Amino acid sequence: MLRDSTRLTEEEMMSRIREAGAFLSKRLEGLQPQVGLILGSGLGDLADEVEGPTVIDYDDIPHFPHSTVPGHAGRFVAGELCGTTVLCMQGRFHYYEGYSMFEVTFPVRVMQQLGISTLIVTNACGGMNRSFRAGDLMLIRDHINMIGDNPLIGENLSEFGPRFPDMSEAYDPDLRQLARDVGAELGIKLQEGVYVPISGPSYCTGSELVFLREIGGDAVGMSTAPEVIVANHGGQRVLGISCVTDMAIGEELEKLEHEMVVAMADQAKPRFIKLVKGILERLSLS
Amino acid sequence: MGVGQLRNLDGSLLNPSFASRLERATEAIWRLTEAQAGPAKEGGRRAPVVGLVLGSGLGGFADEAQPGLRIPYADIPGFPRSTVPGHAGQLILGDIEGVPICAMQGRVHYYEGHGIHSTTFPIWTLAALGVKNLIFTNAAGGVNTSFTPGDLMIIKDHINLLGVNPLMGPAGGQGLMAGSSQFVDMSRPYSHDLMSSAQDAAAQQGLALREGVYAAYTGPSYETPAEIRYLRKIGADAVGMSTVPEVIVARACGARVLGISCITNMAAGVLDQRLSHEEVIEVSSRIKGGFSALLRSVLRNEYPRGV
Repeated sequence: MLRDSTRLTEEEMMSRIREAGAFLSKRLEGLQPQVGLILGSGLGDLADEVEGPTVIDYDDIPHFPHSTVPGHAGRFVAGELCGTTVLCMQGRFHYYEGYSMFEVTFPVRVMQQLGISTLIVTNACGGMNRSFRAGDLMLIRDHINMIGDNPLIGENLSEFGPRFPDMSEAYDPDLRQLARDVGAELGIKLQEGVYVPISGPSYCTGSELVFLREIGGDAVGMSTAPEVIVANHGGQRVLGISCVTDMAIGEELEKLEHEMVVAMADQAKPRFIKLVKGILERLSLS
Repeated sequence: MGVGQLRNLDGSLLNPSFASRLERATEAIWRLTEAQAGPAKEGGRRAPVVGLVLGSGLGGFADEAQPGLRIPYADIPGFPRSTVPGHAGQLILGDIEGVPICAMQGRVHYYEGHGIHSTTFPIWTLAALGVKNLIFTNAAGGVNTSFTPGDLMIIKDHINLLGVNPLMGPAGGQGLMAGSSQFVDMSRPYSHDLMSSAQDAAAQQGLALREGVYAAYTGPSYETPAEIRYLRKIGADAVGMSTVPEVIVARACGARVLGISCITNMAAGVLDQRLSHEEVIEVSSRIKGGFSALLRSVLRNEYPRGV
């Protein structure tokens, strides 16, 4: 009670990050990824398109948490994708799985340790904005963290960033513009909005969804904000894209069928992959 | 003055194991006080009646206490360490305007990772020392767009968005005995008497004082613009990362509470600029003269003949 015993000191956190980073560095054999990709539910296939892939299972990496969600592979895939050297996370860690916030965001710290300066985060979400349709892709403009926890609580990792990082442009405006341009070019409709993560794992009630919409949310999910907070702390540029896999209108809420969510994710997948690849191509030219 | 005299708001006694932890903390404070100032004079120890928790950049007020005895948190059993730049991390005991005070120069924040109980242990300790009034100050971001950096705001109410409460847990684990005392009334956490006393003091000093609702977010990352729009919508005028847990504990101890925020910056998205802790410290340092005059005036209004 005097000190939350589950919390690590700055030294303990840094030594874990350094060890994991050194391990990955060695396995990458001189490959220097520029862009990190966190692939959410349904988008994991994108990693299969990486050329000359180096695959590193999370289980092999010192201090790495283990993924527990079916459908999340749990490995890094590094290599070339559309002219950009990327490090893909196939499988992420969710707060609702019982990981600490440090564990949830550990992969982002390791990416920072590897010198990755741009992070693309993807997820599946429920659409709360009535102008959205299931299957839409949404560019994340901003978020409202309703998880009830913050990954930076605890000692500050001063090597990465300041005690009180600014979040006024958490999702990089230039990258958002780039994504809009690519969407227009490829004829892929892109919604834009505010992403609101809740802890989960239970879905929201109708009343909760009305509340989250009333406070300015356009989409609801269970991830992303912790990684984005840590990415901002470490000075990375962030791009966030959500796939609206179901509509979550509080007043009209129907029982959520997992099959429908999977069907929508599958339907959106080719567009989603095309968009991300288009963005990577554009990044490789800049 | 001992822990035996501290009771919960409903008159119930403290949990014995918690009471003994408080006893160790208060004994250490008295021992260290006497080591600096000599043994207590006839009539016993001079217990502080006003406790002050001084926020970012506002710690300087405590240096005005005479004789200004300093006790580092590290020397007090059970006290967490303040790790934030701009927060010194010591208790200061002495008189200001003839009123015996005990000030926390440097507060402990939830975002530092100590856990909510440890974060608020110093407030229980101040109450156990005998403090009857607690004045909380903090640096806050302006959510209300009519505010300007440098404004002072009396906290008339708060919204707790930390996701935790310092009175949570098995009742035996904290200061509360059991049952009703865990359910502390929050219909008027901020004393109306102290609020009007502060307004009078401000009028005497020719200072304009805002009044508003303080929302506490965990931090330590600053809020996003979307989060600030949400806070504005639900009724917040200012946002910060402290004070609320301390106020809840102060009310559990039955102390009267006054809260004053220094609006050090406009919250995210209000102006087209980034937020930084340096700006917070710069603005709070700039207003410290007026702030200190205001607090002195409050002490005089409350205790015109001293204590």
